[in-house]
Amino acid sequence: MLVGDILIMLASFRHSTVDIRILRGLYRFIYTRNSDIKRFVMENTEIVSDKTLTPEIRLNLFTPNCQFWHARPDTWPFSDPYWAIYWPGGQALSRYLLNNPEVSRGKKVLDLGSGCGASAIAAKLCSASHVVANDIDSVAALAIQLNCELNHLEPIPCVTDNLIGSEPESWDIILLGDMFYDEELADSLHTWLQKCIKTHNTQVYIGDPGRAQFENHSIKRVIQQLAQYTLPESVREENYGLTSSTVWLYKPDV
Amino acid sequence: MSSRVLVGVKRVIDYAVKIRVKPDRSGVVTDGVKHSMNPFCEIAVEEAVKLREKKLIKEVVVVSCGPQQVMETIRTALAMGADRGIHVEVTGKEYETLGPLQVSKIMAALAKKEEAKLVILGKQAIDDDCNQTGQMTAALLDWPQGTFASEVTIDGDKIKIVREIDGGLETIQINMPAVVTADLRLNTPRYATLPNIMKAKKKKIANVKPADLGVDLTSRIETVSVDDPPQRLAGVKVETVDDLVAKLKEAGNI
Repeated sequence: MLVGDILIMLASFRHSTVDIRILRGLYRFIYTRNSDIKRFVMENTEIVSDKTLTPEIRLNLFTPNCQFWHARPDTWPFSDPYWAIYWPGGQALSRYLLNNPEVSRGKKVLDLGSGCGASAIAAKLCSASHVVANDIDSVAALAIQLNCELNHLEPIPCVTDNLIGSEPESWDIILLGDMFYDEELADSLHTWLQKCIKTHNTQVYIGDPGRAQFENHSIKRVIQQLAQYTLPESVREENYGLTSSTVWLYKPDV
Repeated sequence: MSSRVLVGVKRVIDYAVKIRVKPDRSGVVTDGVKHSMNPFCEIAVEEAVKLREKKLIKEVVVVSCGPQQVMETIRTALAMGADRGIHVEVTGKEYETLGPLQVSKIMAALAKKEEAKLVILGKQAIDDDCNQTGQMTAALLDWPQGTFASEVTIDGDKIKIVREIDGGLETIQINMPAVVTADLRLNTPRYATLPNIMKAKKKKIANVKPADLGVDLTSRIETVSVDDPPQRLAGVKVETVDDLVAKLKEAGNI
């Protein structure tokens, strides 16, 4: 807490980046235990339930009431906290799962690039038999644990290895929220997903708010629209340029 | 026709900085001086993002020409909601002599390459006050132009523009593809918030060399000298009306 305050104070005094780097190092040195990082996450986020597409899921997220909302992004001591934002593609996916509980009921579900873990939580709430979250950020894994607690769920296991390209497991469902912001990533996903579908007949659900990288990708030719949601005002404020989010079923010829 | 908008953004000395002329009168001091996006370019970005939010266009591509530092300006535009960036790398001597003609050649080449439907630029930059790039880009492309826009309405393949002219407004309708330049009252640019800044980091910025576009950056303009505005001379204080009259007579004013 104290170190955090000093860090913020120094950042506001516009000290050189060198000072920030030293303090970030100091911060990481102090916050080595998972329990400390969890405490740090809780102190620097706010519990959000309404204002999203899934008011029934409670999450620890950044809001304008959090000190880091206004701080310089480079003062954040860990890797960029993408899990602290409930992304619009993930929101649409989670909404779709909650509206259609039969989709994930009794299924083995992987939430790839899980972030805050909302889609994994939605699948769990719909009685999926087994849910695994995957995010390469170890702080995201802790945030997902905290978010499970907030929703009175047993912690969802979170894998922090990059699963894209690995030997596919027997997933019934793979969830992909906001994974198509980058063409290269989209290409590697495309290949891996085809393999998953071929070997295990996996159903792949995609949530995307209409990013140009997704709209212009060849993957658009092999997907089927399932649902579209208008983004709430506060979500639009976090996603300039985007106003709606869509859920797609991936149907390649394999 | 694609529904892509190209927006030019220029990195200039921040509007709040007091400009200092170099002792050899070859230009102004830029080293160690705060820079930011040209305010008219911010208005151009805002308008493009608004069109995207209204779903009248699908992609906003921002372009900036200059050294590595202009990436910062592109990131700002991405945090305002643009989809991707193009950094046209111009350094050293070529950057020093980079003017509206060279930039408009680059913009015209990119507009063709990207198959843009619309090019939006600021009406002028606050550093050189040229007010030429938009007009020259339109001329090079042989596209219609709507300059000094204070209102833009897209209707099918036509675009209606309310222009700010001396002592009033003029409304014109032109066909797309077209070039539009933004005036001060077109809109109020939004601020980049932390979630948007973080998401902007995930957006792609392509690096392009002018030669790749077949653009020759040779300048035919030679800067002869840059001078400070004349210093205002100190005034004289007079005690009474009689003194004032006497002074004015002395100076031959009455």
